[in-house]
Amino acid sequence: MTLKSFFEGARDGRLTAVRCTACGGLAIPPKEFCPACGKRGWQAAPLSGSGTIASYTVIRVAPRKFAPEAPYALAQVRLAEGVSILGRIVDVPLDRLAIGLAVKFHPLVRGDQTGIAFGPA
Amino acid sequence: MRKVALVGAGVSKFGVRKATYRDLIWEAGKACFDSVPGVRPKDLDGLVVGSVMPERTAFQSHISSLAAEALGIRPSTLSARTEHMCASGTVGIRYAYAFIAAGLADLVMVLGVEKLNQPQGEEAILNMGTGVDREWEAAFGLTAPPCFALAAQRHMAEYGTTEQHFGLVGVKNHTHASKNPNAHFQKGATLDQVLGSRMIASPLRLFMCSPITDGAAAVIVASEERARALTDRPVWIRGTGQALDGFQLTSLHEDYAHWPALKRAGEAAYRMAGLEPKDVDVAEVHDCFAIAEIIAYEELGFCKKGEGGAFVEAGRSDYGGDVVVNPRGGLMGCGHPLGATGVAQAAEVWAQLRGEAGARQVPDAAVGVTHNNSGMGEHVVMIYGRE
Ligand SMILES: [Zn+2]
Repeated sequence: MTLKSFFEGARDGRLTAVRCTACGGLAIPPKEFCPACGKRGWQAAPLSGSGTIASYTVIRVAPRKFAPEAPYALAQVRLAEGVSILGRIVDVPLDRLAIGLAVKFHPLVRGDQTGIAFGPA
Repeated sequence: MRKVALVGAGVSKFGVRKATYRDLIWEAGKACFDSVPGVRPKDLDGLVVGSVMPERTAFQSHISSLAAEALGIRPSTLSARTEHMCASGTVGIRYAYAFIAAGLADLVMVLGVEKLNQPQGEEAILNMGTGVDREWEAAFGLTAPPCFALAAQRHMAEYGTTEQHFGLVGVKNHTHASKNPNAHFQKGATLDQVLGSRMIASPLRLFMCSPITDGAAAVIVASEERARALTDRPVWIRGTGQALDGFQLTSLHEDYAHWPALKRAGEAAYRMAGLEPKDVDVAEVHDCFAIAEIIAYEELGFCKKGEGGAFVEAGRSDYGGDVVVNPRGGLMGCGHPLGATGVAQAAEVWAQLRGEAGARQVPDAAVGVTHNNSGMGEHVVMIYGRE
C-alpha cells in the first residue's frame, strides 16, 4: 500500500492498515518491513475506524499554518483492532476530551490534502 | 579497550545570539582550550562536530572541516559530523570515545554548535519541524511540544502526576540557571510564574518548555596516557548506552508515559560502569519539556516508575536530595541549541566532578550521568566518574 492509496482511501472515509502475510501482524501507517517478523509481504486490512483516546493534548500555540485553527486537539487513538495512530480531534468540545473517550475516524479534507482525524463515536 | 577521559571543556554563552555560526564555534572552542592549557589546537588528532541543521540556519554544510579550520585543528585520525537531532552532541562524544578506546585516536575535540534563531521566528519553528517525520507527522502540524504533551497527559492519568509537579521542574531548573552565566535565562522563576505562564500544548506551559537558543560547547576527549599527562583531574567515561524504539510516534511503546529505550540505554551504561542509580551524585537529563525530566528520574532508576512527580516535589532531585538533576539549568534554563546540548551537559559534569562548578557545585560529586534524547523513543546515556 502506498502513501497515495492510503490517503485516497482515507479521503473516502476508509482507514486502512496493512497485515503481514507471514506473521499476521498489523501495522499503521503502512510500512515496508514488518516490525514484528521483518518480512516484507503485506495485504490491505480495512479498519473499523473505531477507537478510544489513549492520550491527547490541546494545542494553544501552533505553527503559523495551523495558528488560525488553535486551540485544537491532537490525540493518540488506540483503534479497535489494537494499533494506534495520531490524529486531530474534531467536533468534540475541548472540555469533554478524556483518556478512554470513544471516537471514530473522520477524514479531514482540505482541497487536495487529507488529514487523519477522529470525531464523536 | 583503553580508558578514556574528558580533560577539557568549554561552553559559549547560550541565548538569542547575534553571533554567526562560526563565531559560536570560536567562542566554545576558545573556552575549551582555555580550560586545559597543555593542549594547543595542533595537538589534537581528531574533531567531531555535532550539529543538526546548519544547512538551513547558516546555509552551510561541510561542518567538521569548517570547524577544524576555524580552530586551527589538523585532524589526522578522525574528522566527522554527527547529526542525530537533539542528541547529536552526545552521539559525537560516543564517536570520540569509541575511536580512542579502540586505539584509533588519542586526543579528540567534540564540539556541538547550533544557530537556531532566525530573523523570522516562524522559520525557526519550521526548521525544528524537520525533526519529525515529514509525511506522517509534520504534515499534520505535529511539533515537539504536542508529542511530549501526550506523554505528560498519560503520566497524569496513570500516576496522578500534576501540573504542579511539572511546574516544580521548571522552578528548579530556572533557579539553577540563575547561577549559570552562560544560561539563556538567568532570572529564575517562581511556581506562580511557571503555572501562570502561557499554555502551549496542554498540560505544558511556556516555562515547562525549553526555548529556541543559539550556542556551542566543546570538550576534549583523551586516551588514558594523554589524560594523565595533561591533568591531575581527568573525568573518566565509565559507561555509555544508546537505544532506539522508533522514529514515528506511532512506532513507539503503546503508552508514552513509559520510555523503554531510555531504560535500556541507562541499564547498558550502568552495567558497563559497574554502578547503580544510587551511586549517581549529579545528572544532566534532557528536560526539553518538564515531563521528560520526570520520566528520566524513573527510567534512569532514581525513583520507582510513576514516582517522578513526588520525587521532584520532595526536593530529591535538588541540592541536598538524592541526586542533583540539571545543576547548569537544564534545557529549560540554558536553552536547547540541539547539537550543543549534549556537549554542554558533558561540560557541566566535567566541571562538577572536578569541583570547579562554582556556585552550582554539588558537594563532593564523584559520579555524573548525562542523558540526551532525540524524541521519546531515542536515548543516549553517559556515565562519568572521578579517578
Ligand atoms: Zn510479520
